[in-house]
Amino acid sequence: MSLLEVTGLQKVYKGRRGGASVEALKNVNFSVENGEYVAIMGESGSGKTTLLNILAALDKATSGTVILDGMNLSTIKDSAMAMFRRDNLGYVFQEFNLLDTFTIEDNIYLPLVLAGRRPDDMRARLDKLVPSLGISEILKKYPYEVSGGQKQRAAVARALITDPKIILADEPTGALDSKSSDELLALFKQVNELGQTILMVTHSTKAASNASRVLFIKDGIIFHQIYKGSSSDTQMYQKISDTLNLLAQGGDLK
Amino acid sequence: MKAGLYPKIAADGIRKNGRLYIPYFITCILMVALFYIMHMLGFSGLLKNFEGGSTASDMLRFGTYIMAVFGTIFLFYTQSTLVKGRLKEFGLYSVLGMNRKNLGRIVFFETLISWLIAMTGGLIAGIGLSKLAELGFLRLVAVEVNYKFNLSVSSLVTTVIVYSVIFFLIFLNSVRRVRFASAINLIRADKAGEKPPKANWVVGILGFVILASGYYIAIKIKQPLSALVWFFIAVILTIIGTYLVLIAGSVLLCRILQKNKKYYYKTTHFVSVSSMAYRMKRNGASLASICILLTMILVMISSTSALYINREETLMNHYPRHIDAYASKYGYEKDYIEIAEKLRSGIDERTKEYGAAAKNEICFFNYCLSGYFENSYLNLDINPMENIMTIDYDKVAQVYFFDVDTYNRLTGSDESLSDRKVLAVVDGNLDVGNELKIGKETFDVVKKTDNSKAKLRNVISTNVVSTIYVIVDDVDKVASLYKDYKDPTGSPMLSWYWIYDFDTDLDAEHQTELGKILNKFVHDELSSKRFVNYCDSREYQRNDFIKTFGGLFFLGILLSIIFLVSCVLIIYYKQISEGFEDQSRFGIMQKVGMTKENIKKSINSQMLTVFLIPIIFACMHLAAVLPIIHKLLLLFGHNNMPLLLGCAGVCVLICGIFYAVIYKLTSNAYYRIVS
Repeated sequence: MSLLEVTGLQKVYKGRRGGASVEALKNVNFSVENGEYVAIMGESGSGKTTLLNILAALDKATSGTVILDGMNLSTIKDSAMAMFRRDNLGYVFQEFNLLDTFTIEDNIYLPLVLAGRRPDDMRARLDKLVPSLGISEILKKYPYEVSGGQKQRAAVARALITDPKIILADEPTGALDSKSSDELLALFKQVNELGQTILMVTHSTKAASNASRVLFIKDGIIFHQIYKGSSSDTQMYQKISDTLNLLAQGGDLK
Repeated sequence: MKAGLYPKIAADGIRKNGRLYIPYFITCILMVALFYIMHMLGFSGLLKNFEGGSTASDMLRFGTYIMAVFGTIFLFYTQSTLVKGRLKEFGLYSVLGMNRKNLGRIVFFETLISWLIAMTGGLIAGIGLSKLAELGFLRLVAVEVNYKFNLSVSSLVTTVIVYSVIFFLIFLNSVRRVRFASAINLIRADKAGEKPPKANWVVGILGFVILASGYYIAIKIKQPLSALVWFFIAVILTIIGTYLVLIAGSVLLCRILQKNKKYYYKTTHFVSVSSMAYRMKRNGASLASICILLTMILVMISSTSALYINREETLMNHYPRHIDAYASKYGYEKDYIEIAEKLRSGIDERTKEYGAAAKNEICFFNYCLSGYFENSYLNLDINPMENIMTIDYDKVAQVYFFDVDTYNRLTGSDESLSDRKVLAVVDGNLDVGNELKIGKETFDVVKKTDNSKAKLRNVISTNVVSTIYVIVDDVDKVASLYKDYKDPTGSPMLSWYWIYDFDTDLDAEHQTELGKILNKFVHDELSSKRFVNYCDSREYQRNDFIKTFGGLFFLGILLSIIFLVSCVLIIYYKQISEGFEDQSRFGIMQKVGMTKENIKKSINSQMLTVFLIPIIFACMHLAAVLPIIHKLLLLFGHNNMPLLLGCAGVCVLICGIFYAVIYKLTSNAYYRIVS
């Protein structure tokens, strides 16, 4: 069985007082295997953020099911939702979303503190992560004192520290310069090679070319997908941009 | 650009920021209204036809000045919070092509609109409420009320002028703030990444030390005279201490808590401790201001209400009998006894003529010296003016010389003494040995009694300065030993007192009348001889007491209303602005896995701390200054500690209830913003 199974997902935003309603997701079906690195691409308004929000249990689908590791998200009660997120999901945001009142270290600890872990346990988990992420220098600093790349690495650490089943990344390179982007993508790849499942929403062809599979979403449905297989990053890059061109021209691949 | 554009933009800006502006307008209106009321009651001559009315009016006049000053400071503070909240909007306007002059115009119209609302609202409310306030006031000072409606044009004009000036100053200040910020700064004004404050050990500890020393002074003081001197020092130390402790000390405390990993890394503590640490530096000042305002309210209301409620007892302490005749003079003169006898017989004669009989008479004279008392020695050579800083006011004491016959008569004792052998009746804090030295003379103390247990206490009450009553066999002889002692100004140190108190069988009105007759007699008899003298009736003085204490109480209430409203507004703005800051923060935390329940809990613990800190500190301050207030009230002749404590308790309770209501309202507003 797949780690994540999405079937017949639909999301309709109702207009206020009988205004026109918008169908952000029409009928989305896909699955993610354990240890996979999946990128979802699509233009603005294609519904990819809505999809990610539903996967992260931040939003509710109008119909359809999302099953993560055998658990149906729609059956989880509202009150248990935050706990579910905390224990099963790691989230990496475009805007880092670090809290400026905490040091980097405390920011990383946040989900563990919310889960009620003991301080020495938290410390042990952090010590395991620190070398691979290269954040040992900045642990005692505050977010405003470090660069964007460092912030995003801290955010990745925060996502990883709970040992989540899946990492959801929303445009993780969106606010980074190219060098920091490259570093972050390398980091993702490294994490994935250690067995971590990653689902990333992105605009960037370069970012997507790192993934083992790329899904294209347009007008609320999964339109197409490409497997990387044994092709190199450059070949993958080419495949993705060809597909994007085709999509932009309105071509029909089906 | 069209001329009507600026007023429209200004009005829109106010309407869209209603959450910020409505409380501001309410405060303005209240301030204007209370200013008008106070001015009207103080200046309109409403009370000038009543006995003692001028004291009450004076107090209200004084209150008007306080109101004007405080109003200016407070409206400035509020306005700067408002402008800060809108800098982003102004930044957008300036990006869209408005220059500073245009922005200035918007600010002008905004101030104009605020001014109009404050003025119309305030004056209408002021006029409407003035009759109510007047009735309340007149009731407090026990003057018969009429139900005619008064409108004071001069008060209206003054109010308009004063508040127009205040608003003009506010306008200049806002223009300055908007002008000196560049467009990009304006847009980013409230996003400027703020450094989390470092714990400042030196300042934090200094704050605690200063606060503790303020408390120490307040608690240590034993005598009303020193209370007068040290009160302001204690107050200033306490205020400085409060600011330092809340600004630096609280950050320090948070940092210490953060070091304790077991405590810090708990869901409930984690978020609140870190955001408190982050904010305290900024918020410490406003928390300290709230705390100081609350303390002022508590002190003001508890002391003035205690004075007012206890007025009858205070009056009795001052005037134990219906009629109180008094004469005193510096220096030693041979004919004092003669004068005393003449006064008494004159008063008795006139009382009889008036058709009344004197009962329960107390009549005596004594001599008094004051100096610096140490080791059973009353030093008469210390010049208090030269040693004003080094002198320990707790050691200032006075000695009353009584004749043993007078003493026996007053207390019903049967003591006999010989030359240089004396009885001493002593206030508890003075240490009198077997030998008592007063100036150059030494006396043997054959018997010593604590004043609080002595019978003399029922006859003479002095609470202001520590006193030793020295009972001697021949007071005239002893007094003559001191006739050449002069103080640094050259006037004699020895003074003579004569008192004649008695009751009558007259009603209140006639007592007053008799008092006036006797006063005239005493005056005619003594004025030419340069005696201080008076003859009062208790009934006449009752009016004065009520007017004074009632006026103080009323002033206390009015000022407290203003202070309380200011507290509310400071808290409200603080929480609202924090709510906007926290909006995104709690959003992030929810995404990371914080439950709604966790959020509620952490908000609650944060809010509770913010609310509780000032009131807890205020109560601590109140507790620390109560002893000193008690000493100061002694100067008014008020000696009722249980009542003062009771009043303080009730005040804390009322403030607490009011505070709880604000807490509820504010936290609701906060929740609405955050979720």
